[in-house]
Amino acid sequence: MSRSTKGWLFTLLGYTLVLEMMLAAAILYWPNFRDHLGAVKLLSKPLPVLGDIIAQVESMGVAAYVVGQHFFKGCNVLGAAAAALIGAAAVAGEAQRGTLEIWLARPVTRLRLASERYLSGQAVIWLGVFLTTLTIPLLLTQVDEIMRLDRLMLCALHQCLFLGAVYSITYLISCASSEPMRISMGVLFFMIFQFGIYMVKTVTHWSVYRLADIEVFHHILVDGVLDWGIAGPMLAINLAGFLGGYVFLKRRCP
Amino acid sequence: MPSTTNISSKGLTRRFGDHLALHPTDLEVGPGVTGLLGPNGSGKSTFMRCLVGLVRPDAGSAVIDGVTLTGDGVEIRRRVTYAPGELALYGELRADEHLRFLLRGREDEAFGRAKKIAEILGLPLGQKVRSFSHGMKRQLIFAAAMAPDVRVRILDEPTEGLDPTKRSEVLELMAEDAQDGRTILLSSHHLGEVDAICENLAFLDGGRLVSVENAQRVRERTSQIVRIWWTGGAPKDAVQVLSSLGEEEVKLQDDHLMIHLTSSDPRPFLKRLGDAPLPAPSAVEHGRISLALLYREIYGVEGV
Repeated sequence: MSRSTKGWLFTLLGYTLVLEMMLAAAILYWPNFRDHLGAVKLLSKPLPVLGDIIAQVESMGVAAYVVGQHFFKGCNVLGAAAAALIGAAAVAGEAQRGTLEIWLARPVTRLRLASERYLSGQAVIWLGVFLTTLTIPLLLTQVDEIMRLDRLMLCALHQCLFLGAVYSITYLISCASSEPMRISMGVLFFMIFQFGIYMVKTVTHWSVYRLADIEVFHHILVDGVLDWGIAGPMLAINLAGFLGGYVFLKRRCP
Repeated sequence: MPSTTNISSKGLTRRFGDHLALHPTDLEVGPGVTGLLGPNGSGKSTFMRCLVGLVRPDAGSAVIDGVTLTGDGVEIRRRVTYAPGELALYGELRADEHLRFLLRGREDEAFGRAKKIAEILGLPLGQKVRSFSHGMKRQLIFAAAMAPDVRVRILDEPTEGLDPTKRSEVLELMAEDAQDGRTILLSSHHLGEVDAICENLAFLDGGRLVSVENAQRVRERTSQIVRIWWTGGAPKDAVQVLSSLGEEEVKLQDDHLMIHLTSSDPRPFLKRLGDAPLPAPSAVEHGRISLALLYREIYGVEGV
């Protein structure tokens, strides 16, 4: 097994395990949460956006709770962190450790190097989301609830396009930089800021997390199709991030 | 001018911001070993990286083994092996795994040959690279660069950081490789380290190709130079006394005298030196010359 494959597998394993633990804990807590929804609603009064989320759970039940816990909370937070860290290290990591020259010096085209590095990062992020989403129906049986797997997988696809966009932008910056720590910290701070403003009623519409929140996932669950008005631009950002990264890598000196 | 040219650059130029790292450079290299010599920052690595497509030249062209440098240079890199001067490896890999990494895109047999070279050099292939010394890492890169069956090898400071024994082994392997008709372009900033196996020497300074010389001719020139030191500096009348011995030129350098002999055999001069009315020297050196002195004394170029 090659060095990079081993590295990606370990990253995928760690990322998926943490996501799964968060998901399992959340689902197993559902009956307790449902029973105390009134108290939670009372507690969320000072935060109107949080109040909206609780109201959605109250009206939609376990579906809103699960997409809220898994996609909106788990994947959006942990996935964005993974996207920032993996994306930042993609090329800038090689430059920082001084291995960029031996990485580029082999008789392999830069397009191939760019593609392999980009796709392996995307694969870790996407697989983590899909693998954990696959376990949702099974976990729900433990709390006597059901959800349609095909609809959940559509939600996972939407989530991956969102996280993929974060990863792709980070990857693009990484292809032009030699400082992975700065890139990852910058992207993380930006995403935390975005999560922060999501919770503020007056500016919540400026948050990128509006693109992957309970409301969006609820529509996917109900309609059974992706909202291409949101998914399309996110897909375009994914592609643009890769192509932009390739353009930088093509001209990059060791 | 080599009879068969395997590396040819015409006007190869590279600028980094305001700094012209490589002035337009024309160089033709044929089979055998050619040394690319110059002090740190003289443009050797930039030139080599341009040749293999790692750095895109701003102007000029290069043809290696019949292939013109275009795009990301992958077609060139398929026909050339390149050992970078920078010594950063993946410490978490075992040496044999690292050889596989370095040999990606090469023929399958290259890995076996690389292992054999590494074994000749005494590298422990089962050990993690992070436990390797500087010299061992250099040898690992060298083994990977010498293994593929290509006609041209470009080696950036392959002997840097090696102890004298390993340096000899590495030079011997390169000489054997060149005897098979391959073209090796190697860089160094120490003339004495590599000139023994070089057939031609190209001198770079400040990003400019200063001169291309036949190595034998350079060796003859350096063998006509004797340097003499005395404790407490050269005696006041030393220049006058030694000039009268009939040698070509006697010059007072900072703390010693440099004498250009009329022939490459120093013995007649040394005999006359023994008879001269001068105190006994503390050191006499013959046939060795630093790159700095070579530039200054032979080519009249300053700047090392």
